[in-house]
Amino acid sequence: MSTLILVREKLHINKENALGYILLIPSIVIFAVFTFWPLFYTVYLSFFDWNMISPSKEFVGLRNYFDVLTDPRTYQILGNTFLYIVLLLVINCVVPYIFAFVIDVVLTRLKGFYKSAMFLPAFISLVVGSILFTWILNPVSGPLAIIFGWVGLEIPNWTKTEGWIIVVLSIITSWKVFGYNFILLYASINGISREIIENARMDNIPLWRIFLQIILPMSSATGIYVFIITIVQSLQYVFTPVKVVSQGGPDYASSNLIYHAYHEAFVVFRTGHSATISIITMALFLLLLFLEFKFVERRIYYEN
Amino acid sequence: MKRYLQALSILALIIFLAACNSEGSASTGNGEKTVIEYWHVNAETQGGKTVTQLVEDFNQQSDTVEVVAKYNPDMYKGLMQNLQAEAAAGNSPAVVQVGWSFLNYFSDNFHYVSPQTVIDEHFPDDKTFLQDKFLPNVMDLAKNGDGEQVGIPYSLSSPVLYINRDLLREAGLDENGPKTWEEVKEFSEVIKEKTGKYGFYMQEPADNWATQALLESNGARFITDGKATFASDEGIEAYQLLRDMVVEDETALHIGWDQGIQSFIDGSVAMAYTTIAQRSNIQSNAQFDAAAVRSPGWEGKDVRLPAGGAMLSITAEEEDQQKAAWEFMRYLYSVESMAEWTKGTGYVPPRNDVAEAENGLKTFLEENEMMSAAIEQMDGVVPWASFPGDSGLEAEQLLLDLRDQILGGSISVEEGLKSTEEEINELLQ
Repeated sequence: MSTLILVREKLHINKENALGYILLIPSIVIFAVFTFWPLFYTVYLSFFDWNMISPSKEFVGLRNYFDVLTDPRTYQILGNTFLYIVLLLVINCVVPYIFAFVIDVVLTRLKGFYKSAMFLPAFISLVVGSILFTWILNPVSGPLAIIFGWVGLEIPNWTKTEGWIIVVLSIITSWKVFGYNFILLYASINGISREIIENARMDNIPLWRIFLQIILPMSSATGIYVFIITIVQSLQYVFTPVKVVSQGGPDYASSNLIYHAYHEAFVVFRTGHSATISIITMALFLLLLFLEFKFVERRIYYEN
Repeated sequence: MKRYLQALSILALIIFLAACNSEGSASTGNGEKTVIEYWHVNAETQGGKTVTQLVEDFNQQSDTVEVVAKYNPDMYKGLMQNLQAEAAAGNSPAVVQVGWSFLNYFSDNFHYVSPQTVIDEHFPDDKTFLQDKFLPNVMDLAKNGDGEQVGIPYSLSSPVLYINRDLLREAGLDENGPKTWEEVKEFSEVIKEKTGKYGFYMQEPADNWATQALLESNGARFITDGKATFASDEGIEAYQLLRDMVVEDETALHIGWDQGIQSFIDGSVAMAYTTIAQRSNIQSNAQFDAAAVRSPGWEGKDVRLPAGGAMLSITAEEEDQQKAAWEFMRYLYSVESMAEWTKGTGYVPPRNDVAEAENGLKTFLEENEMMSAAIEQMDGVVPWASFPGDSGLEAEQLLLDLRDQILGGSISVEEGLKSTEEEINELLQ
């Protein structure tokens, strides 16, 4: 009973805010069951050797961490992960930023058409998109290879070539993500006062300076959101095309941290290794998030 | 507040009743039939339609059993993974297809019951069914390392060489295709030179079946006394030939399985080395003069072709489920069902009396020459290498990684095979 009183004192529960706490309970329960419990269980599993089926788990201490951190493949996959992030940041953050700017500020006609056309692919399932692209981009007999063949060009054998596989999978992923990011950035740029832009144009300021010195700072709140969400998505969304098209191959050249955690757990059934990779991934991105808050967040312009 | 409570209790009552209701219907089933699950790996292009047909027919004629067929993507490995996940969750299907290469892994890690045990307990009339209808060497394919009968062979296949006769003629080559692997290499060079098309594609699914045929036909052995031994001189020589075709000559393709078969069917590749189970797909989609010939051997050596396909194993835990499982399996192994299965998939029937039977495959084989290649070479069929122990999946994965490394040109054949063999032997200890 005394602990209950202690908790009450600690949380400052009184008549006014009691209802608030009660209303919080459902979301706390959901968080606990679907986020915190799996997290703790993952930490727990990372200390065991287990194949997911045998009734006994063997405690191995830190050996899983040692194995994963000394495995050169881990670093190859880490490299892949960052390559995906860089590529997707360019395709899904920089390019839609420029597109949004051009369509909103520079173009005068057909804006509605471009807006819907850019957003359209976001409706299509990534699995469907992946299968479609596997067929279209078949390096020997796909339609694109045939068209290239007319002018004497060849498509690289991307499913089996290191490097190319990441580029193509990134493009497939961007199919899904591009439209959404574009609409967000467009809305943000659209909200910037027209007077400022018109003034700048009257003074014959070149477009690239308008973009860099007016648009970019004034839409930076949305910009940073899209930036972060792109990083997160390039970790997660990439999973679907990797699973459908390459299963991490050739020789792990298209695997990223999330897919590799899946591969270890559900393909070769080394749950210990999988859990370890998940924990390391989380630690890594906590660090990135911390850096972002420390150095970037403070310089963002929030309108209100 | 009172009315609120009232509404809440009524809601709770409704949910409670609904829960009771759904529980009731699950246990009794429709019209007292025992419902069992049958897990298979047959996609639409690989006999999926026949599975659906057979299950429907069975359900119609059976008063006691209702079968639900469930498709598992990514072939036998995918099924094994799903089974692993389901077993971890505490529920397993009644009948599963187990690929040969997972025979030992399956019997070490899963709970199953030998078909003969179920027959002895519940079906005295069928006591000699397995002895009478199957050849002993075929039944041996489904025995694990300890000699236990884990299941019954169901889908039997072997790799054959599909050839595009139009392209071979265009290149001025023998339209009956190459007989040896050395000839495959020569043919491919000529095809590339004369037609500009690729000469050869060897299937690259998530298993090492075709690789085993290539290496073992040259005298190498994948496994000897429970240890990996594929990195012998013969093994290296055999793999070198494939690597040279892909990396040096660029006459052979190195792409995914679906893309590879697609390329053969649309005429971009002249020869494809893949399972006889693809016959139906190739026969109905190819627009050219397609044929299947016997698996190439090595000059002066006997072929050794791993038996592909799967056995059916009973994983049901409850007695009534096990009984239902055998009833369903007996139906699948009848001459008519076997014949349908062969027609739909191109698998060679494991039963000894189907090929000649009038209600079996007699007329079918007369009309489908592609099949005869697979049936003729059945004397060269050997068990599919299956790595023992808990690390079976990992060992299989290492060989798949190696295939990407060798055919991608990032490692030499000798170095790759030797280091992978060592790695696998360490795992297996």
